[in-house]
Amino acid sequence: MKHDPRTDAGLDLTLSEISALTTRATRGAGRSWGEAEEAAEAACWLARAGLDWAGALLEVLQPPEAGADCALRTGIALADAAALPGPLVNTPLRVNSPCFLLPFAARMADQTGQRIRLTAAETRVVLAPGACPLIASPGRMSGPAQVTLAPDQQDQPPSPDWPQTHRGTVIAAKYARLTQLMMAFTVPTSAHSHAGAGAQGDDND
Amino acid sequence: MSCEGLNPMPQARNFRRSPDEVMRLVRMGCSHPTRLSFLRQLLRRMQAEDWRFDRPVWEVDARGVGRAVYRAIGPVRTYSLVAFSHDLPPEVRSDRVIATAWDATFALFDGTPTPADLDRLAANVPLQEAGRISPRELSLSRANRSVRLFDHVVARLAKGAQPDAAMLRETGYLMRTTAVYGSGKFGAADRAAIAQRPELSAPFQAEMLSVWLTRAFTVDLVEHLARAKGGEKAARLSPELKSGLGVGNSTGLGMAPFLIHHPVLLNNWMLAREEALARVRAQASIGADELAGFQAALNAARENADLWTSAHDIQRAKLADLRDSLARIAAHVAQGWDQSAAHPWDDLWRWGCEALPLEGQEALLAAMLEPHGALIDGLGECMDADEGTAFPINGAMPVGELRAILRAHYDWALGIDYTERAQCARFWYVSEDKLEPRLGERHEEPGAERELPLDTGRQAAALWQALQDQPEDQPVAHLLMAAPENRLAVRRAQITARHPFAEIRDNLIAAEMLPIDILRCKLAFFGATRFDPRSDRWVRISLFQDAPYPDDLNGGGDEA
Repeated sequence: MKHDPRTDAGLDLTLSEISALTTRATRGAGRSWGEAEEAAEAACWLARAGLDWAGALLEVLQPPEAGADCALRTGIALADAAALPGPLVNTPLRVNSPCFLLPFAARMADQTGQRIRLTAAETRVVLAPGACPLIASPGRMSGPAQVTLAPDQQDQPPSPDWPQTHRGTVIAAKYARLTQLMMAFTVPTSAHSHAGAGAQGDDND
Repeated sequence: MSCEGLNPMPQARNFRRSPDEVMRLVRMGCSHPTRLSFLRQLLRRMQAEDWRFDRPVWEVDARGVGRAVYRAIGPVRTYSLVAFSHDLPPEVRSDRVIATAWDATFALFDGTPTPADLDRLAANVPLQEAGRISPRELSLSRANRSVRLFDHVVARLAKGAQPDAAMLRETGYLMRTTAVYGSGKFGAADRAAIAQRPELSAPFQAEMLSVWLTRAFTVDLVEHLARAKGGEKAARLSPELKSGLGVGNSTGLGMAPFLIHHPVLLNNWMLAREEALARVRAQASIGADELAGFQAALNAARENADLWTSAHDIQRAKLADLRDSLARIAAHVAQGWDQSAAHPWDDLWRWGCEALPLEGQEALLAAMLEPHGALIDGLGECMDADEGTAFPINGAMPVGELRAILRAHYDWALGIDYTERAQCARFWYVSEDKLEPRLGERHEEPGAERELPLDTGRQAAALWQALQDQPEDQPVAHLLMAAPENRLAVRRAQITARHPFAEIRDNLIAAEMLPIDILRCKLAFFGATRFDPRSDRWVRISLFQDAPYPDDLNGGGDEA
């Protein structure tokens, strides 16, 4: 992909590219395939919402600091359990990226059919089923933070429409880091594979 | 999307083949294009909606270098193929994905490009993967000349003569594409951005349109070069010879994992085709038009089989099966077929299943569908997929239910010993150089620790083991907390329970697995003909052979 690493300008990626890069970078970071698929789905959701998908992804691919949990693993567990009987988890969680919990909270909203509110310090985000996230109170969404997820029963303005664009931006430094992680999961092509793929033939026929 | 609730022929369900019969590689590797194939859907829509076509830009010099624009003007939107023609030295001509230069490069533009758009594309499209396109583009592709035929055609036309018909038949195309990228690749518009447009909702319509317009470009280019060389005496290609030309395509492992990565889409393709077959088999009588159409399709299939050649041992054997099968079908139709049976098409089908090898059975399927457009063409609208809704795992599903799903849909996978060398001989990976899928030999090559999760059978078997001794009522969410390594298998199983044709029911890492079987199935859905494997993992095919050209449709051409 043509990209000048000397600049810090944002690189515009398609959702397809974000999905492929995230899957491979997550796998390259040593996570399981199951987590890699979930991370890709979450990164695309964040990109569609116009949020910092690459920053949040890089945060969750770092080992969490003591006392914090991985937002990816926490999010997966919460979303899987959303349809189980019982109250929604509303005990505080401490995760390495509050932002990366958002797509999973959105899935909880989808599965339960109710609005979910994510609170992290001064930040409040409301997730209605199928809707674009409503940033009810903007604030910092990065770094380790204590997060609360709870059903939202307050009057809220309608959720914004999903943007029509299907892209996401990433700054050069984050793109370079994700690419580096991705390359850790690739394999040099063997001579056998080259030969079987047609390397021995002449295409001037 | 699911069209099940809208099915106007629910009684056809009784005539459907089972996924266990259909989703085996040995049968998928005998797939033939049908009237539901994606290029056929494109041509039918353009004809039905009276699309118009023109070529507003042709700036190509006497060496064949320059640019051209071909427009397809639909009732609501216009799409333009932007073509760049290059002067390529023979020593750099390569069909492989590692190539960096090609005879021609293309982008399908959303609308009519301005001069500024063309300049932007000229700076990027010839670079292909090393360039960058925008959301205004729907596909990116390139093609190489079939040099011997291309030069022959130019030389003959320049002298005012027609090229040798046998040479044209033997190769079948002037250029072959070596990659056609769409769906968000290299900056192009994502599938989600265009999927709601009726004309692009069926799979791969933008890519098919790009290739179809590329076919027109290849003919225009040889005629242009002939005129540049021969002047006034140069001839144009005769309509008969022109019609027999398609666009070649050289493709390999890169497209194989697609069918595993998109299980719901695969299900919808297969289910539409299987429902089409079932509807035909369920008919209580044979109409005269349908009978005539079927016989015409059989004749066309026999002609095609006679022209279809391959140097690959496996394919040669299949071609022998095909030719023999088509002859036997023709004989049975003429003499043995009981056309007064309660379900005469079903009677023919059942005979075929008894009498024919797989290659012949699948050819019979394609011929039976051909005259039944009114009955089955609507199924084309069920071949896209909303994959997002299938993604979330149902964590509330009890382990007992998951176990029952595995028993019902993964029986093929559960009895295999994946520690045996032959059952785990291969591994799929992403190549370091081109980030493309590749196939490695596990016991001979490094890298298996980074393999792609295409070992679907092995994963299902591992999940089956993980479920042993688990309480029947334990929710899957709890299972995955304790055994998260089974996540992919749980998702695939839950998808397959709702979409029974979602899974290729074979061990994709076994020593005897043939990637070309996966390729043939996918390419048949595209509408590819002349499937010609060059090894067990790459093939050449032809697209749009015998199809109309844009000028034919401008004049109201034959039905696709």
